[in-house]
Amino acid sequence: MADVSWTNETDSGLTESRGNNRLKFIAGGVVMIAAIAFLVFNAMSGNTQLYKTVEEFHNEQASLVGRDLRVAGWVLGDSIQFEQIDAMTSRLEFDIVDDYENPDLRLHIVAMNEPMPDLLQDKAQALVEGSAGADGVFMANSGGLMLKCPTRYEEMDPSGHPDGVPVDGS
Amino acid sequence: MIADLGYIALLFAFITAVYSAFAAWYGRRSDNWRWVESARNATVITLPLVALSAALLITLLLQDDFSIEYVWRVSSIEQPTYLKVTALWGGQAGSLLFWNLLLAIFTAAAMFRKWDEQKPLMPYALMVASFTQIFFLMLSAFVENPFARITGMIPANGNGLNPLLRHPGMIIHPPMLYLGFTGFTIPYTFAVAALMSGKLDDTWIRTTRRWTLVAWLFLSLGLILGGRWAYDVLGWGGYWGWDPVENASLIPWLSGTAFLHSVMIQEKRDMFKVWNMFLIIVTYALVILGTFVVRSGVISSVHSFAESAVGPLFFGFIAVMFIFSAYWLNKRREELAGKNSLTSFFSREAAFLYNNFLILAILVITFLFTYYPIISELFTGERGFVGPPVYEKALAPLFALLLLLMGVAPLTMWYRTSMNRLQKAMLWPFIIATTTIIVLFFLNIRHWAALVGFWVVTFAVVLTLMEFGKGTRARMKHGENVFVAFSNLMARNRRRYGGYWIHMGVLIMAVGIIGVELYQEETQQLMQIGDKISLGRYEMQLLGVQQYEGPDDLIITEATVDVYDNGDLVATLTPRREIYTRTGQPMTIPKARSTIAEDFYVLLAEQPTSPNAAIMRVFLNPMINWVWAGGFVFVLGTLIAAWPDAVEDRITAVRARRRPAIAVAGD
Repeated sequence: MADVSWTNETDSGLTESRGNNRLKFIAGGVVMIAAIAFLVFNAMSGNTQLYKTVEEFHNEQASLVGRDLRVAGWVLGDSIQFEQIDAMTSRLEFDIVDDYENPDLRLHIVAMNEPMPDLLQDKAQALVEGSAGADGVFMANSGGLMLKCPTRYEEMDPSGHPDGVPVDGS
Repeated sequence: MIADLGYIALLFAFITAVYSAFAAWYGRRSDNWRWVESARNATVITLPLVALSAALLITLLLQDDFSIEYVWRVSSIEQPTYLKVTALWGGQAGSLLFWNLLLAIFTAAAMFRKWDEQKPLMPYALMVASFTQIFFLMLSAFVENPFARITGMIPANGNGLNPLLRHPGMIIHPPMLYLGFTGFTIPYTFAVAALMSGKLDDTWIRTTRRWTLVAWLFLSLGLILGGRWAYDVLGWGGYWGWDPVENASLIPWLSGTAFLHSVMIQEKRDMFKVWNMFLIIVTYALVILGTFVVRSGVISSVHSFAESAVGPLFFGFIAVMFIFSAYWLNKRREELAGKNSLTSFFSREAAFLYNNFLILAILVITFLFTYYPIISELFTGERGFVGPPVYEKALAPLFALLLLLMGVAPLTMWYRTSMNRLQKAMLWPFIIATTTIIVLFFLNIRHWAALVGFWVVTFAVVLTLMEFGKGTRARMKHGENVFVAFSNLMARNRRRYGGYWIHMGVLIMAVGIIGVELYQEETQQLMQIGDKISLGRYEMQLLGVQQYEGPDDLIITEATVDVYDNGDLVATLTPRREIYTRTGQPMTIPKARSTIAEDFYVLLAEQPTSPNAAIMRVFLNPMINWVWAGGFVFVLGTLIAAWPDAVEDRITAVRARRRPAIAVAGD
């Protein structure tokens, strides 16, 4: 708003000032749009994550090491382990897959010092933010573990098995 | 039998809605008012039909009729009665039916109440409203039928309502959002009716002003309750996570907020008519988009419904309505062009313009980030994602400017404000705000963002209080005592002072948000009985862990802890984990010692495996209760602004009668 004049126009100058106003409006608008673009790019630079499925992760693993990622997949119940290492350190591990029909294509997730999420159980859908090391183990960021909630209820058929589990969250 | 009846009622509702749209169109075309009246009566019949359908679904839920798939999904024999009723909106199919019911209520009420005042708009309003209803009834009747039966063996018991949805906040949260969402269809309906009829004065705005405020109130309530629910139930110590589904309700709330502000310029100065039309059309499209996002799974979210066939249908519907409205807006563009223009950058109308600009900027950025996975995939082939820190970094400056404007805007006057006056009025607030942050600095609050934030909030609060003071003093000059003067001030100028209360609510919330965002502390530790941990001034000791059976199919594991503040015992808390044995679904219920200054918020981080130890997670959430208190003031302010005002209603009615009857421009 710095580009705005502080003087008050007299009535006789109104017509002229209208044209002037329009110009100021356009100039002000351009400045503001530039400011927003700056805010967006400034906030996003280096802070966006790539979104990968388990399969995509494996295909591109070499190029993804150390990068900020968000992976999605279905939890394998048997793989969930919670270990309290000492008073201040805990380790939560589990595997996710894209497809229960293909359990070999899985991603091992490790989350340190995270509480055990209520929804972390077999056939839950997990979204994990973090990054992977060269060993292919995916370390979750602090607070980067999210489990989808009501989905489970909607997708189970009366026999208790999820029907048509989609490949990912898209 | 009951299910068949429910479905038949739904089908009939669909047919009457189709009839209503047709009759309104035909009546308008053939200039036969009897057809238009018949269309209105049809919308009024749609309501009881949808209501009957919903009542029958509730009956099925109460009867534990698990041959109905929806009942099986969201209810169980043990479920308490009130939860069987609220299960109506506990799943996809039911919530769509519920949505239909609310829409039918709003539509019927609008058509009845405004009939005589707004006759020329009515045929068009009926068409547009019916069209929305047709779409949602079509979804309920043909895509997501809540009365669908289970094929094969009928289960003996149901799944039960998702435990996460059993919290009181969650029981009221969805209906509030739905009321907000459906409520916004009414101003949209009348806006498009104004465009189609060519009756382009501000009648449609005056007609729907209170609807808009009420819709906005419900949407705000929905957002606040959603935050409260997340804080109480999700156990992550937060209340807002910039999740796509949360954003999906925030985005239309933002455009609705911009609309509420900018219509005032049209009413007072006859400007920005195209802009207001644009805003309400966008709000409507965003409402439908929000409903769609929640249901489609198009963006991975922590909480969304199952992916289903409704997605493409929603998308098609939004596209049709948007193109249709944009066509009419473009057609009337010339007629809508205002005769007035801004005379000064320091006028009330300019302040509203800045407000709109900031809100729209926040909206655009939120939208961009929410849909970034889709946008980035479209342009780069890689699906990207932005997390909460990115939102916060980009939006914080805009929110700060908005708060500043909230304080300054009430000082401005229509047409032009003298700079001298502005400067004089801002002197004391400036001094008080600056003194406040100097004091805070010496109290060891050193984070620059917190200092800037508190300065802006204090400045705006003092300015707003001065507005209340000024109005009250003016009335006291006429011999009223201070209380009478204050309450009369509210009563005589509800919209204005209700608005200031809303601003106060937002400012109070801002204090809480700054506190929690910048000064939250947390720790997690395995504790043996008798162990102590400390966080801030607080110390917490684990006294024991016990397990017992709860109501329904619950098993509850509860830890007991003592909380000491500077060495004094201040609370004994029992955070717990509940497991719904039938579904195996656990739930973590945090407990907090709440004061006006902070919450000491305790969670059982993991299911304890022995009665002697537990992993405890503890948050110190400074000022969090200011968020809820601000929310309360906010809602109160909206109620003041929206409360029916007999005097104002009479004036509007007289004005409507006095206006020369404008022939409806047929097309």
